[in-house]
Amino acid sequence: MTEPVRASLDHCVKCTICETFCPYARVTPLFPGPKYVGPQAERYRTGGASPDASVDYCSGCGICTNVCPQGVKIAEINSRARAQLWEERGVPLRNQLIARPSLLGRLGTPVAPLANWTLRNRPLRWIGERTLGVHRKGAVPRFAGRTFQRWARKHVSPPAERTVVYFHNCGTNYYEPSVGRMVVDVLEHNGFHVVVPPQDCCGLPLLSNGNFAAARAYVRRLVANLAPYAREGLPIVANSTSCGLMLKREAREILDVEDEDAVAVSEVMYDLCEFLLLLHEQGELRTDFRPLELTVPYHAPCQQQGHGIGKPALDLFALVPRLQAIELDTDCCGIAGTYGIKKEKYEIGMAVGERLFGLLRESDAEIAACDSETCRWQIEHGSGVHAVHPVEVLHRAYGLQAA
Amino acid sequence: MATLETDVLVVGGGSTGAGVARDAAMRGFATVLVERSDLATGTTGRFHGLLHSGGRYAVKDPVAARECVVENAVLRRIATDCIEDTGGFFVTTPWDDPEFGDAFLDGCRATGVPVEEVSVADVLRREPRLDPGITRAFEVPDGAIDPWKLVSANARSAADHGAQILPYHRVDGLELRGDRVIGARVVDELTGDDVRIHSRIVVNAAGAWAEQIAELAGCRVTVLPGKGIMIAMNHRLVNTVVNRCKPPSDGDIIVPIRTVSVIGTTDVRVADPDELEVTEAEVEEMLDEGEKLVPGFRRARALRVWAGARPLFASDEVTDTREVSRTHAVLDHAARDGVEGFVSITGGKTTTYRLMAEHAVDTVCAKLGVDRPTRTHEEPLPGSENGRFYTLGSRLRAREPVPGSEEIICECELITRERLLEAIAQRHPSSIDDIRRVLRLGMGPCQGGFCIYRATGILHGFEQLDEQAANSALLDFLRERWKGVQPILHGDQFRQARLDDWIFQGLLDVQHLPE
Amino acid sequence: MTAAGWRAARVEPAAYDTVVIGAGLAGLTAALRLAEAGQRVAVLAKGVGATHLSPATIDVLGYEDGVVASPAQALPGFASAHPEHPYGRLSVDVIRAALDWFRERLEGHGYRGGLDENMLVPTAVGAAKPTALVPETMAAADLRRGGRFVFVGLRGLKDFYPAYLAGNVTRAQLPGRGSVAARALELAPTLGVQRDLGSLGFAQRFEDAGFRASVVADLRPRLVTGEVVGFPAVLGVGRAREVCQELEARLDHPVFEVPTLPPSIQGQRVFETMTGGLRRAGGRLVVGSAVGEVRTSNGRVEAVLTETAGRPIAYRAGSFVLATGGFASGGLELDASGRISETVFDLPLSGVPAPNEPRLAREYFDDQPISRAGIAVDEKMRAVNGDSEPVYENLHVAGATLAGAVPWREASGNGISLSSGYAAAEAILEVAS
Repeated sequence: MTEPVRASLDHCVKCTICETFCPYARVTPLFPGPKYVGPQAERYRTGGASPDASVDYCSGCGICTNVCPQGVKIAEINSRARAQLWEERGVPLRNQLIARPSLLGRLGTPVAPLANWTLRNRPLRWIGERTLGVHRKGAVPRFAGRTFQRWARKHVSPPAERTVVYFHNCGTNYYEPSVGRMVVDVLEHNGFHVVVPPQDCCGLPLLSNGNFAAARAYVRRLVANLAPYAREGLPIVANSTSCGLMLKREAREILDVEDEDAVAVSEVMYDLCEFLLLLHEQGELRTDFRPLELTVPYHAPCQQQGHGIGKPALDLFALVPRLQAIELDTDCCGIAGTYGIKKEKYEIGMAVGERLFGLLRESDAEIAACDSETCRWQIEHGSGVHAVHPVEVLHRAYGLQAA
Repeated sequence: MATLETDVLVVGGGSTGAGVARDAAMRGFATVLVERSDLATGTTGRFHGLLHSGGRYAVKDPVAARECVVENAVLRRIATDCIEDTGGFFVTTPWDDPEFGDAFLDGCRATGVPVEEVSVADVLRREPRLDPGITRAFEVPDGAIDPWKLVSANARSAADHGAQILPYHRVDGLELRGDRVIGARVVDELTGDDVRIHSRIVVNAAGAWAEQIAELAGCRVTVLPGKGIMIAMNHRLVNTVVNRCKPPSDGDIIVPIRTVSVIGTTDVRVADPDELEVTEAEVEEMLDEGEKLVPGFRRARALRVWAGARPLFASDEVTDTREVSRTHAVLDHAARDGVEGFVSITGGKTTTYRLMAEHAVDTVCAKLGVDRPTRTHEEPLPGSENGRFYTLGSRLRAREPVPGSEEIICECELITRERLLEAIAQRHPSSIDDIRRVLRLGMGPCQGGFCIYRATGILHGFEQLDEQAANSALLDFLRERWKGVQPILHGDQFRQARLDDWIFQGLLDVQHLPE
Repeated sequence: MTAAGWRAARVEPAAYDTVVIGAGLAGLTAALRLAEAGQRVAVLAKGVGATHLSPATIDVLGYEDGVVASPAQALPGFASAHPEHPYGRLSVDVIRAALDWFRERLEGHGYRGGLDENMLVPTAVGAAKPTALVPETMAAADLRRGGRFVFVGLRGLKDFYPAYLAGNVTRAQLPGRGSVAARALELAPTLGVQRDLGSLGFAQRFEDAGFRASVVADLRPRLVTGEVVGFPAVLGVGRAREVCQELEARLDHPVFEVPTLPPSIQGQRVFETMTGGLRRAGGRLVVGSAVGEVRTSNGRVEAVLTETAGRPIAYRAGSFVLATGGFASGGLELDASGRISETVFDLPLSGVPAPNEPRLAREYFDDQPISRAGIAVDEKMRAVNGDSEPVYENLHVAGATLAGAVPWREASGNGISLSSGYAAAEAILEVAS
């Protein structure tokens, strides 16, 4: 695809810019910084025994790769080094579990009320921290009880001139099916017939936790389901910006999954806001928004920045009359997928996100907007402000009925 | 003038000289070693670091191959801390004759080089950067050996056994009484003082300079300096030594050593081992040959290029230095030139240094009429007592679990402030170049862009230098470093050089430092 | 629209008025000037740029066969002696206007100085460097005032050596045989476990009132009356001016910063102010997007495509500004065979040594033949070819990509970036109106 990850370390001129922008190195001495762990340490790794456990403190936020002026694939180098580390040590039970949100989802959904009670029961969370290593305060979602897929199977999407495929991700399916319904509503409102193919996890949490083999298996199953649509030329939209990035780029670049299916899917994968804004730029987005007297601070998740598309959510908000969207000048919320709920990393994550939480607490906003579900849960946990996906704001502005 | 009395005076502080000093001291001789510069700055410090399995000689030079087999095993016992057990491959690329592989196998088996033909798929799995068009592959016990560590350990061992090691002592002349060499007149380069050393035997281990030393006693040693250039690539493109399976020629080997991969080498006869020019044509040749082993080699980042001079001894006149035997020769000048008390050891290579030293000291014993066998093959060198090979990740691992707890001065080479101060305290260097050689300060990809300013400031403070001296140290480093990088400056490395220019000339404005 | 029709259309988002490639000082200057004039601007950058590697001073012209005392006086002569230099295209008036604009936009930084007189400020090794414009945090650094200086090091900051600095400053040759006396002190603030903090870590510490109080308490009794106090450039991240003023007030001595090795906290402050301004003016900044393909037709640039996740994105615009920097940033490239190229548009180059001539000198401090290679421009800052004709009607070039300058030897880097970025924006606005 692009240049091999390890070879890109040759471009490093030690300029320190990545270190300056790394939110994690700033708050903990346990992570020596992306320049150190990435292109610098990689010269000392031979593919033999992993010499540096501190690579595990890299969150995988990807800000370093984004800001590097020389094109070093820093976060990707770190990712692979971490995989090597965990391959040697064996991925612990905790990481195996939390890296499989669809498995957890399937287990918890039939017993949702009990599962949710368990997750909010302090003594049980204490035990969870001791035994599993998930911090007792780590931000976890609520099981919805009824999955999005169940609704989608019953839902009949009206026929239309154009078709779009919806990749909804585990978060929407098990924890936020209402968001999925809003996505479908908004797309149908704009004249699309929405197809929701059978689908499972994209494997991103497994990648972040260093289990590349399992991640590849998940990705391949997923793209096998999506590829036929990609080959017909249909666009695929993802409301979870991190899962969308996984299929756009990270599966190919970090996992080296360059199968035809994966390539076909990555070329037609769109972040939801990216897609809606493109429609608008072609004059095809309905702009019949009602005025919303709302101030909405917007936090762009790190992985959203990894798409390299700017911040389309803000441009969409600008179309809604009376809506005041505030672009927060923040980098990372500190959850980084599964990083921030781990016992040894929780405090680090909270320190990283503190600036964002502080800004939100100080603002009088009722809601904040953010394109990634794990970030939303962290934002609510850290600031107390309710966080929504940008599509929820648009849904309300369109005046569509809650399904 | 100071005078030293000793049994054996060794001239030359490379692997041979240090090995001789160790062996002589271990056999009970009072020993002094003199070296005009810092230890290991001659050929030993300038080669690619290959610990030969013998494979390269198996076909054309069986004697050399057998020596390598034996000494390889010995060094893997006594010098583990200096050696990285990389293993080695001989691969047949699309440019090589596959049938040579058979000759190679036969040669290895005949000379005792441990060899095994391995599947190409296996090799490509272990070394994914190699040319996928490889047709045959063989595995041998090549390794990577750190020359500075090796020489340093030998010198320390010699000192532990009572020897005096004197770097920065240049031999100005040999003293003769009649037809006997009784010692040398030596200049201490740091103080300017003369020192007279009286010895029973002088061992000329000056390598590529052996001829010049021998002339001081009116003796004749014909050394053909064979210049070879090497390019260090920024990171390890391979983690195993990779040789082309063909008759030895230019640029047919890549050695992973520390954090770099070194490609070498050429072979050009030169007149003066101190005048080693790197030509553009040689650089191009190395890059082209590298491309044959590792596709994409030309686009990879080259860190620096340098030249070393092999000390090839020829008893007759030979023009192509590659054809000269690589084994060594101990010359007793009493027989050759009628001069007593003087022995030269020449030829050879670092892998067989210990054997060369053993032969040289055997000759010394014979001349002095004593029978003391060597034990250098039995006793581990200082630092290698635990029998563990060096691993590349060790420097990185040493800084865990809290990597931010010490100040790192040279980030590319992970040199901490403590380590730097230790080296300064030990050597009291007047130039940063000395520290560079010992610690590899400024030899990583940034070529000193960040660390040299720091090192200058630290040196200034610690050694109480005046500003002039510190400024000179800084400016000299920049000038010297440029020589090593300028011939291979393109692509990423040129980008780095430009950033460094910006830092030193733009930001720091070093060229306008007060005179 | 059919599925196939959709695919074709999907890579063509709406047009901008101007697309700027490169987010260094030149690119940000052009973008901000255009955005505040009402244009719809996008800045595309491969990463964050040279601002984080440079001090915040604006060096207009420091050296021309010796120290330049007054850029305003020296520039006309310099321009006619070096017509191929960017200053050959930029009049003193334009440069002055650019400096004034910059001072206004970065009002919060309190810039001092101007074209008429260069100040001499100490570098981190203690050379006396000429510069035209300095932020308030460096106003007291002018060595020309003479007197006594004390440089304060912070134990644990490995990028600053006050004793070495002070020793060299004492010997600096100042105009009119002036001289300064300088000495050094070291403070040892408590740092906790993390000892390898770096400039950014210390700058963050200085944002904390308690830390500042302890610095003041430690330092105040050790100062001698009349001394001017020089710190490394870590006096806070965003609030440097306030931090500096507070230190001055509580120490009762003038205080200034000395820029040191990257990361440049000063540069970071400039970057944040300018990008904040760009955001507020409605401009869009896309970091992490390298420009790959370009689309041109009929002598105009139509669009540039960024290499992003999944597929390229096209940005169409009426005008384009190329501000990708020189060799250090990858705007210009020297390949293994000695070929030099401009990496985005493959524009014809100027100031390039002939193919068989050496690119580099053997001695480090000699003139390096390749140094002046870059893009030549016309009076509208448009890239021109060998016949001095614009390569593309709507493509302007600014900053270190320009031919004819050796900024690190002339002490002219930020001056060229600022004034060429400004001039490019002015030229575009003129065309638009």
